[in-house]
Amino acid sequence: MSDTPFSRFLGDFRKNKVATGAAIVVALIVVLAVIAPLVTPQNPYDLAHLVLRDARRPPGYVGSAGYTHWLGTDSQGRDLLSAIIYGLRISLQMGVIAGAVAFALGALVGCAAAYVGGRVESLAMRLVDLQLSFPAILLAFVMAALFGQGRSQLILALIFAQYAYFARTAHGAAAAERQKDYVEAALSIPLSPWRVVFKHMLPNSLPPLIVVATVQIASAISLEATLSFLGVGLPPSEPSLGMLIANGFQYLLSGRYWISIYPGLALILFIVSLNLVGDQIRDQLNPRLHR
Amino acid sequence: MTAPPFSETRSALLDVSNLKTWFPGDRGEVRAVDGVSFSVSPGEVLGIVGESGSGKSVTGFSIIGLIDEPGRIVEGAIKLEGRELIGLPQEELRKIRGRIISMVFQDPMAALNPVLSIGTQIRLALEAHERIGPKEVRERAIAALAQVRISEPERKIDFFPHQFSGGMRQRVAIAIALLHRPKLVICDEPTTALDVSIQAEILSEMKALVSDLGTALIWISHDLATVASIADRVAVMRSGHVVESGPALAVLTRPQHDYTKTLLNALPSRASPGELLLRSAGVPDAAPPARKEVPDDVVALGSPYLVINNVVKTFAKPAGLFARLQFGLAGAKPPSASNAVDGVDIVLNRGEVLGVVGESGSGKSTLGRMAAGIIAPTSGSVRLAGQPVMSSGTMPRKVTTRIQTIFQDPFASLNGRMRIGEILSEGPLAHRLISRGEAPNYVRQWLAAVGLDPGYANRFPHQFSGGQRQRIAIARALAMQPDVVVCDEPVASLDVSIQAQIINLLIRLRSELDLSLIFISHDLSVVRHLCDRVVIMRRGRIVEQGAAEAIYARPQNEYTKRLLAAMPMLPRSVAGLEPATGPL
Repeated sequence: MSDTPFSRFLGDFRKNKVATGAAIVVALIVVLAVIAPLVTPQNPYDLAHLVLRDARRPPGYVGSAGYTHWLGTDSQGRDLLSAIIYGLRISLQMGVIAGAVAFALGALVGCAAAYVGGRVESLAMRLVDLQLSFPAILLAFVMAALFGQGRSQLILALIFAQYAYFARTAHGAAAAERQKDYVEAALSIPLSPWRVVFKHMLPNSLPPLIVVATVQIASAISLEATLSFLGVGLPPSEPSLGMLIANGFQYLLSGRYWISIYPGLALILFIVSLNLVGDQIRDQLNPRLHR
Repeated sequence: MTAPPFSETRSALLDVSNLKTWFPGDRGEVRAVDGVSFSVSPGEVLGIVGESGSGKSVTGFSIIGLIDEPGRIVEGAIKLEGRELIGLPQEELRKIRGRIISMVFQDPMAALNPVLSIGTQIRLALEAHERIGPKEVRERAIAALAQVRISEPERKIDFFPHQFSGGMRQRVAIAIALLHRPKLVICDEPTTALDVSIQAEILSEMKALVSDLGTALIWISHDLATVASIADRVAVMRSGHVVESGPALAVLTRPQHDYTKTLLNALPSRASPGELLLRSAGVPDAAPPARKEVPDDVVALGSPYLVINNVVKTFAKPAGLFARLQFGLAGAKPPSASNAVDGVDIVLNRGEVLGVVGESGSGKSTLGRMAAGIIAPTSGSVRLAGQPVMSSGTMPRKVTTRIQTIFQDPFASLNGRMRIGEILSEGPLAHRLISRGEAPNYVRQWLAAVGLDPGYANRFPHQFSGGQRQRIAIARALAMQPDVVVCDEPVASLDVSIQAQIINLLIRLRSELDLSLIFISHDLSVVRHLCDRVVIMRRGRIVEQGAAEAIYARPQNEYTKRLLAAMPMLPRSVAGLEPATGPL
């Protein structure tokens, strides 16, 4: 079947050059992050490989191990290019895992609340509203401070800060779908509540959720970077982009700009690309722009 | 080929000749209007009839110069009192629009601005073409409202659109259209969204108004009967062409063109009850798959089967602070908790077709959803063969598969993300009526039984037309092997020829499968055609019920009488009622 909704979606997507470019950048970053150990000259987390003599060298410096540090080195003598690719790998991991879990959790809470209706719905959505009224960074900060440092703790904090956005969006979409005839038709057969929620309401509530997902993955990544920058994220032995930026911060005024600037640029490029892709998906899925 | 233009009266007010309005599409130009010619004399009512996609609305929009890019008028002439309108700059057109030609649209809620009071909207319309003082504006506005028979116009002038009913809103829209005493008013399906009784009022008032003011009227509609009751002359349109035109009575009683004949023969009001329409159009040859097992509590045909006992459904009122503020500001009372259905008893006999008739707000759809087990009644019970249709408890669920539902809008009732095969097999699989291995064949059999290609199972709903979708929806309901089917306005959103096919299909499948139907409709002629017994509902209660023939022949209740009288009727071809001969 060539005329599936998905193939038409892809065809429309390709018409926007900027978004297509952004999608390619995202794809490149994802591929780089996945195969990081194969392409980087150095494992930046393996302390045995770090040579302190090579610390804070400018871009283009040929290090003691014999290869060129194209983006320079950081204060511990890490190759910055390798550190950035590994940092993107961590960022992506955090963003995708936290985003996916928050997506699933939020979609479930939102759709179930819309299906059940009544007081359960009101209670669940007021709780979500309550949580939305706190800034995500504050919530993540508290969670990170409570659970301590480490990858799983950080993911937990990100999920907790983000699922409410998905729940709110899923609820809005699902509540609208709940009123539609095809849901009533499913109830009329009757199909089980699980089937109505997962097979009927959820797939039709997906478009706005996908849009939120692209934005929220980007925001999870920047949230992780922020937390790491502030020192409540990942441990210093596994520097993510946020920590690389923080580490380089103190050298910025002394002219060693590359330690902060290049990780910052990588982060910006990734987040902007993700957002561009998200915007295009939103535009395409917005029914108001069609007919 | 285009039909010959209308009679060439020298005093034609509007003369449209060889009009072509095209829209660029994915596969070449869409010729929405493709060589249409007609003329309208002062004071004359021209009805333009056609099914969806016939180009009737685009014709109207072309005349008033409201064709949106990228659509364009490719060729032709539109002459208003001899002056060519095509190619006039927007500035000039604006001087004509509203003053010389005005338009009334289908949806009065969308045509009126919800944040401006009626008085303000009338003032803006007046000031668009005249310089007058505030005092005179108010007088003129009040007079305009009085003209369309809105009571207490002095008070209502400060109302906002949401404070009016649909019929009242349409009256306001008509009042605005008539403000400047235009020479021509174009009405595009102005009564389609309204109840029959309101429609009848507006039709007769509109007729009186245009003859009083000497205004010419172009009445665009899909409904032959309403056109018959207002138009002097009729043009029948199909795929961008006028296929037949002439005096209304002549066209509607002695149609010449095959398409006009098809349209007329598709109407249930012109056939005897229960008869297949259009020489059994759209009735498939394939028989539906046999039912696996017949439950042992199925009663004999004609015995009471589905018993609806004193059901009440109350919807909670908006009680929040915001709702109260909103109504407080508007000076209206908040709606109290009202019973959408207020104590209804119905007994459906097995094998019977029961019509439920009512206008919007009568509670007929809510009753249907309770009968089908989609929503739980606030009180009362629905039982099928003695068994409750829904479980009890805080979250009641439907427990029987033997009642199924067909919905009004086939574009909304099919899940657009599922393939047809899955839509049809999902329910039967979930309830083990069929096994996974049997599913593809079962789906094919049902597609054939509703007159669709069995190879459609892999397609998505968006690849089908409205009529085809409704067939799929019927197959979905019947694939559950039900005894009772609740049909909620199943043909209301379809064109007449498609409507005829779906009615035929229902007639055939019903007799083959011994189904009992609850047929909910606002269309009295469809109900008469299909139903053995009829229930008339108003404001959540039954006002009259009985055998269909008896109700239509001798209505007892005042409301039923009014409803029947409001039903627009086509002229019957009666000998001696032939129209005057004239140039066609």
